[in-house]
Amino acid sequence: MAATIRQLAVRALTLVGVLLAVLVLLVVTLGATGVSDNILRAQVGEEVRTLRQSLAQTIRDPAELERTVAGRQRELEAFYGLERPWYARLPSAVGRVLTLDLGEARSLRTTDGSRRVSDIVLQRLPYTVALITTSTILTTIVGLTIGVRMATRVGSRLDRAVAVFAAVSNAIPTWWLGILLIYLFAFRFDLLPSGGLYSTPPPEGQWARLLDVARHAILPITTLVVVGVGPSIYGVRTMTVTAAQEDHVQLARAKGLPERQITGRHILRVAAPPIVTGLILGLGGSLGGAILTETIFNWPGMGRLFYDAISSLDEGVIIALTFVYTLIYVLSRFLLEILYVLLDPRVRFG
Amino acid sequence: MADPPRPPPPPIAAPEPAVQPATPLVGAAPDPDRAASAPRAMVLPPEEEAAPSPLRNAVRLLLASGAGKAGVGLFLALVLLSLWVLATYPLDFGRARWSNPAVWADNPQNAPPAWSARLGGGREVAHLARTLDAPTEVRDIPAGQVRTFRVGLAFDADRPPSALSLTLTGVTFHDRPPAILASLVRPDGAVVRLASVPIRGARPDETAPYRRFYDTNERLLLSADPTAAQGLAQVYGQTYPGLALPPDLSGNLAAGLFGRPAADGSGRIEPLPGDYALQLQAVVADPRDEIAPVRVVLSGTVFGLLGTDGLGRDIWEGLLYGVPTALLIATSTALVSTVIGAGLGILSGYAGGATDAIIQRAADIVTNVPLLPLLLFLVFILGPQLWLIMLVLVAFSWPGLAIFVRSMVLQIRSGPLVDAARALGASRRRIMLRHVFPQTAPFVVAQMIFYAPAAILAEAGLSVLGLGDPSVPTWGQMLEAGFRTGALYAGYWWWILPPGLMIVLTALAFMLLALAMEPIVDPRLRERS
Repeated sequence: MAATIRQLAVRALTLVGVLLAVLVLLVVTLGATGVSDNILRAQVGEEVRTLRQSLAQTIRDPAELERTVAGRQRELEAFYGLERPWYARLPSAVGRVLTLDLGEARSLRTTDGSRRVSDIVLQRLPYTVALITTSTILTTIVGLTIGVRMATRVGSRLDRAVAVFAAVSNAIPTWWLGILLIYLFAFRFDLLPSGGLYSTPPPEGQWARLLDVARHAILPITTLVVVGVGPSIYGVRTMTVTAAQEDHVQLARAKGLPERQITGRHILRVAAPPIVTGLILGLGGSLGGAILTETIFNWPGMGRLFYDAISSLDEGVIIALTFVYTLIYVLSRFLLEILYVLLDPRVRFG
Repeated sequence: MADPPRPPPPPIAAPEPAVQPATPLVGAAPDPDRAASAPRAMVLPPEEEAAPSPLRNAVRLLLASGAGKAGVGLFLALVLLSLWVLATYPLDFGRARWSNPAVWADNPQNAPPAWSARLGGGREVAHLARTLDAPTEVRDIPAGQVRTFRVGLAFDADRPPSALSLTLTGVTFHDRPPAILASLVRPDGAVVRLASVPIRGARPDETAPYRRFYDTNERLLLSADPTAAQGLAQVYGQTYPGLALPPDLSGNLAAGLFGRPAADGSGRIEPLPGDYALQLQAVVADPRDEIAPVRVVLSGTVFGLLGTDGLGRDIWEGLLYGVPTALLIATSTALVSTVIGAGLGILSGYAGGATDAIIQRAADIVTNVPLLPLLLFLVFILGPQLWLIMLVLVAFSWPGLAIFVRSMVLQIRSGPLVDAARALGASRRRIMLRHVFPQTAPFVVAQMIFYAPAAILAEAGLSVLGLGDPSVPTWGQMLEAGFRTGALYAGYWWWILPPGLMIVLTALAFMLLALAMEPIVDPRLRERS
């Protein structure tokens, strides 16, 4: 047990290191290019503007008003550390990114009209998580069922076909596949919506709405699954083939155990940890694939937000998104590491 | 496991890096020094002795499999294409040509490829561009000379051309500016006056000869000229008296110029097939006056091999330019990543101690970073430049190889070959470069090939999100332009499909090569085939 905890603690430390490294990279890049100065200045300018408006009602003398406002502006600049060089502000900058305190977006809004960067990003988060988890689970299920079945037919025509499919699906850019699917299913055959979350106008009633969202999710999820499933099947197949050649499997067969039990208990149990490793390695890929897929399908998650923020040159939103994506990545990786430890008895009892 | 953010694929034969310490790997650079410092028999397993040369052997193995043949064939085709592009395209193609709307002004926009007309029943208008260097006819008159430029335009389509335009690339005159008049000779015998070209006379501070339009060519869009609309209305009145006309002739002038009012009096315009001619008459006062080449363009409804995009750009031309760009991105990124990854891996494995710890911790952190979000962030903040994109890709792709090479080096280091070299007094650097590196070389080369498609896909992904380097057009950017302007929703398949297909083909070429490299890299796999 102690070994397990140690193992997990080491992984956790590495992942915290990753998070810190990314944070420092973000903040240093922003500071050295002067972008963080601009963001802070804009924030100060915004506050000074509102202050001037509210003060204008109580202070009648224009000179007096100017003096008060200028004094407040200096205070604010000191508060944000604008009079110091950027590297002196590093700790506070890290804190601001950590809390997504990145001021207000230029033109992007939440659906209720909030301009705060954190509100915008957090509103999109569930849609991205829904898309990624659904497609990852589907990919894993398909990969496991087909991969294990293929492992019993190594060298067959089907086996080779899947090897080629894995190579091709690895070479197809996710977004291009999305474009192809839109072209075929949305425009040629007019079967499915080409993008978005709801039809216009959205249907009445909760269930109808849910169904509508599901219909809109079919193409993006298909895209992610098709691109991910080739390597997944192939990975599962390779791991299972290796495990199936081990002596204890021969023994189980010799004992006359039913094939189903051999596959489940003696092969898959052994092959499970490396399969999880494959999942871990694919995680970064599906995250990036999701960004592009959301963009192509106008799926209102963080990936589409990334595209919109790039188009509208909104630094605050981009910084927040980069950080949140890293966070998601690190967290889901840690979850998989725990799964790995649970599945691998050598680690657990070692 | 899709796109740019793809983690560096686990090196081939990754599960257990079981490398027999002193097994020389086929494909390693022939190394005379190694042969000299260690007895041959010790390094070469018996079955290898008959092999003619490692390199030739590697090529034979590479070509043995179907994947290898396909990969090598595809790759060679791409290399030949890029050599051709490098030889024929201008160096600043992106800025001077692709992103310069003036170059593409005469082309139809969003036109499908010419061959597609054969697939879908209708007769399309082929794109026709002619340049006349000299007048077809010169006639002397008392006041000077009449020079006639005449371009025959055969028209047999069942839809109107998208435009008719005329470009004067330069006019020189010595006394009075020439009077230039363009008209269209129609198969029904009528002649439509299209436009006259106003040429500014001599300014007070100017001396003869006076030159006009050389710097900025004079382009006249005849099919949208008010004079042409008037001329056409006149011709219709005389040639087809009594037939109803559409209320707004100038709204679709190209159809009117190459058509006639429907005989049933419905007021429609129907195409009038036959031989047309564009005639340009210039009356010059001085025989020394010059009219430089004249260009006449009948913009088709179809264009070239792959049609045009929304700005009239030739998609085929852009697609070809993408080949060397993609290969450059792929090979240079892969090469630098590999050199850094293998170098750090060898250093880490051989040096050990603090160096090892630092490199491995750094590699641990960098492999665990989600690539695409950070790539987007860095390129957005630092500006979309190709070299920067490649630099960031390199910065994030070395660790996989470094970790793997280190594990190989740890085994090689304790082998007899390195022991022998050390006993002979070789320096650490020499041992690393001459004795350790050659043994890892085949794996390193295979990994390099794996890096290449990842770089292409990453650049394309960035371009699709609008962060491509605008001065270097790539396939990703062509797609992005189509996606942004709604080409997908309008069904312009010739704009959307080819760039993606080229990316897939190029990435596939590298992946097939890597697949075929497996038996070369891992001799255990060779026995099976």
